[in-house]
Amino acid sequence: MSNRQFCGSMEHFVSRRGFIGSAAGLSIGSFLGQKAVAEEIKKQGKSVIMLWLAGGASQLETWDPKPGAVTGGPFRSIQTSTPGIQISELMPKMAARLKDTCIIRSLNTKNADHGSGAQLMMRGRRDDAALKFPDLGSVIARELGKPDSPVPDYVSFYLQTEGRNFAGSGFLGARYGPMELSKEAMPENVSRLDQISLEDFHDRQALRDLWSKNFSMGRNSGVLASHEQAYLRVNGLMDSKKLFDVTKESQKTRDKYGPTQFAEQVLIARRLAEAGVPFVRVGRAWWDSHGQNFETHQELVPELDHVMATLLDDLAERGMLKNTMVITLSEFGRTPSINASLGRDHFASAWSCSISGCGVVGGSVYGKTDAKGDKVAEGEIGAARLFATIYKALGINPQKNYYVGSRPVPLTDPGTEPVKEVLA
Amino acid sequence: MNYSKIKVQKNISRPDIVFDLVAIPGTSRVLLASSDFNIHDLDISQQKAESKTLSGHASYVTTLALGKDVLASGSYDGKIILWNISKNEKIKSLDAHQKWIRKITLSPDGKILASVADDMVLKLWSFPEGKLIREMKGEHTPLTPHHFQSMLYACTFNSDGSLVASADKTGHVVVWETKSGKKVASVEAPIMYTWDPSARRHSIGGPRSLAFSPDSKYLAVGGTGKIGNIDHLEANARIEVFEWQKQEKSREFIIDKHKGLVEFLEFHPDGNILLGAGGAGEGFICFVDLKENKVAHQEKAQMNVHGVFTQNKMTSILAGGHHRVMEFQFEG
Repeated sequence: MSNRQFCGSMEHFVSRRGFIGSAAGLSIGSFLGQKAVAEEIKKQGKSVIMLWLAGGASQLETWDPKPGAVTGGPFRSIQTSTPGIQISELMPKMAARLKDTCIIRSLNTKNADHGSGAQLMMRGRRDDAALKFPDLGSVIARELGKPDSPVPDYVSFYLQTEGRNFAGSGFLGARYGPMELSKEAMPENVSRLDQISLEDFHDRQALRDLWSKNFSMGRNSGVLASHEQAYLRVNGLMDSKKLFDVTKESQKTRDKYGPTQFAEQVLIARRLAEAGVPFVRVGRAWWDSHGQNFETHQELVPELDHVMATLLDDLAERGMLKNTMVITLSEFGRTPSINASLGRDHFASAWSCSISGCGVVGGSVYGKTDAKGDKVAEGEIGAARLFATIYKALGINPQKNYYVGSRPVPLTDPGTEPVKEVLA
Repeated sequence: MNYSKIKVQKNISRPDIVFDLVAIPGTSRVLLASSDFNIHDLDISQQKAESKTLSGHASYVTTLALGKDVLASGSYDGKIILWNISKNEKIKSLDAHQKWIRKITLSPDGKILASVADDMVLKLWSFPEGKLIREMKGEHTPLTPHHFQSMLYACTFNSDGSLVASADKTGHVVVWETKSGKKVASVEAPIMYTWDPSARRHSIGGPRSLAFSPDSKYLAVGGTGKIGNIDHLEANARIEVFEWQKQEKSREFIIDKHKGLVEFLEFHPDGNILLGAGGAGEGFICFVDLKENKVAHQEKAQMNVHGVFTQNKMTSILAGGHHRVMEFQFEG
């Protein structure tokens, strides 16, 4: 099923009618296996907030600095709260809070193209010729979302225009596709029309409920049930509009996150996670620093450092960090070599990401690159093992099968092992 | 000047990135500010030039200023180090700034050293003693209008040292009185700063070089044009000339054969020629003829040029940049 059923446009326009149509039209086979385990995981109310550093953040200016190496650039490294682990001086706040974060420094994902690299790092694998795989958000929505939840399962903020449209629910269909917010942080088309009063709106709902009950009487139809569920979700979606309203937060909290667009979206992501949204991605473009890499990272990394540290503090204060995973990920990293324009180019052979909170060993580093950052020296992993590790940390079996027709499709490629050292 | 006569005299490849350089008068020694955190003392008369190393910085060395016997070096580590160049020894190290030092420059009489850094403060130091004379701050705000850290890229003295100018990332250029530390005037070069609010949501550019005309009437500002795709320095390099006392931009020059930043500017002593240099993936030096009001000559360099040192009324031009040092001379 194409996720276009959910979308009114190429930019994943949020449409109630499209939402209803897609939510009622699921046609996947029996992916309700392991129901008891799945239900237990859902009860735990786990969420993922992904900070998607679109365009490719530099590992050397974030998680894997090489000060003094010819490739190291001008920034120093600083000691973190974990003895022996150093990160870039551009991240002093995260350095002081590494106890909840695991850094993975040994990604070799072999794809340094924006489009296919982003698809790979959002799905954990390449699409088959005949099968489009769901991205991480869709799988999490499927695995952690609750059928009766009044809030969306998967929200994606991506307000910049560069590097969009690499997410997608693949064979899971539009029911698990992202609510894509690409124009503003508030969903469009979910408000009650001005010309319909609240009283009239409630009357219409009651009338629809009555007709629906009467129509369903004596009929035992999955399609009908799905249609009913879709309407309930739309009502929930309309009610959840306030979650996207950052002004509902205290000024003190807003000040803590800061005034930037990224900061506000991450604060909304926390609000959504708190309300039970299992997966929120906040896209922060654009890190593609072919020229002036150090100036670009001087702008973007302190913002990331501040916002990420504030988010982790906020989650911890609310008792949410144990069940919320925060991921920083890009489509790739950047070259150790510095080009003539003082830039760094695309590089997928030895780069870094981070996982904080739920299910991981905090204050740790997995993997190692060589002295110049050219190659992975220890613990090389690709996208598949990273995803298997994320699933496992969330309590999801990475080898769980979905079924597309009669074809079993495991969440990660057969034989893919999670990285045990990362898992708590 | 007969620009067609300009030729590459020396072309020395380097393993490092050279951000600035100075030549010691009467010798063939050239001192290089290097990306390997060192200063290299290079004898360019040698066929295979080998360098001695002056170590002491903990990040890129980005800027040099040469007095009679003393060299000052500024680095992204925030320190200014004073060196005895006869003995190649460190004299003293100053904890000069809280953030990256972008530029240091000596007053024409060699008695005052000015420094600017990303802490957005212009500081004046007695030279060669290295004592802080005064700080000029408050005019260059620490944050851009979009809430990101700004940068204070450039500073320069006028010909009698009575004025010093500074330029920040957003294109705000301030002229200060050296003696009092008071602001005299300001001009704006906003085209040189690009903030992309929608596609990529960060910034690029900013003025990188300044030069007063010999009569102090004009202040030239070097940078780049407005950029579409800010992944790259894809706009043409750009020079704007201000009648700063009127706070007016009087002329602008587009280096139409070359993209990137103008990282160096210097007026010829006669005041009619302005030398610029810079680049992006590739580099250039250029000559602006102010009498003719045009970019008179653009010479491709084999590197992105970060620093220039001129001698003998610009008849010899030393340039340092990406993995290379070059010397240009006018034949005949």
